[in-house]
Amino acid sequence: MTTIDKDSSVPLRSAWSAHIARRMSAGNPFYALSALGLFALIWFLLTGDDWKSWLVGLPAVIVAAWCAVRLQGLDRERISLSGLMRFLPFFIWESVLGGIDVASRVMRPKMHIAPGFLDYRMRLTQLSARRLFVNCLSLLPGTLAADLDGEYLRIHTLDRGIDLNDELLRLERMVSAVYGESL
Amino acid sequence: MVDLLALILVFSGIAFFFFGAIGLLRLPDLHSRLHALTKADNLGLGLLIVGVALFHGSLLVALKLLLIWLLALLGSAASAHLISQYALRRKHQ
Repeated sequence: MTTIDKDSSVPLRSAWSAHIARRMSAGNPFYALSALGLFALIWFLLTGDDWKSWLVGLPAVIVAAWCAVRLQGLDRERISLSGLMRFLPFFIWESVLGGIDVASRVMRPKMHIAPGFLDYRMRLTQLSARRLFVNCLSLLPGTLAADLDGEYLRIHTLDRGIDLNDELLRLERMVSAVYGESL
Repeated sequence: MVDLLALILVFSGIAFFFFGAIGLLRLPDLHSRLHALTKADNLGLGLLIVGVALFHGSLLVALKLLLIWLLALLGSAASAHLISQYALRRKHQ
């Protein structure tokens, strides 16, 4: 048991120090500022016009932004605003369809389901884009991200009769547009 | 008029929570049940939140509710993924 731990910790530690070194060399003030702004906005939304709350809020916002900078991913992702604007209505519409789909399946006297698994290879390369893809997948009609291993994704579906490939590809394109990556 | 629309939205939100609960009880296995919980509850909470925001009519409250919805979405997607991954990997061991 201990030998396994020792073996696996070595590459992990070196990956971690490489990660730190890479980030130290290319600090991004824009990232830190937008994190500060975002957390300040969230604090404002939570507390409203209670200005005294900033006695607690200001330190909390600064610590949260510091954590966000420290935890920033290896791939320096940039979010494309136009991609995001196209993604949001798509996501909301698909969530409505997803809810109606699952509700209509379970409310029939004889449930209309044929559950099963399928494997899918993601074309997205950035980690954060993959994360968004996997999370959205679970909220969209008929699909649930069941297991993830690198670029391979195991998807659970409520109806194996439906060909999901086009749907998945479409979602992947939408997600890739958010990160300004083209598939 | 706005109140009526808000009422309809709130009640349809509650209906979707109800459908989600029915799905949880009726569906045959763990993964299918997660479908009902993630999707029906996501839509239910979304409708509820739009309804409550319309009732309140304040932008600050609406944004706060939106934040709650986003956090709930993130929570439900992440927990569904963790539960299904754990179930699959334990089965294969």
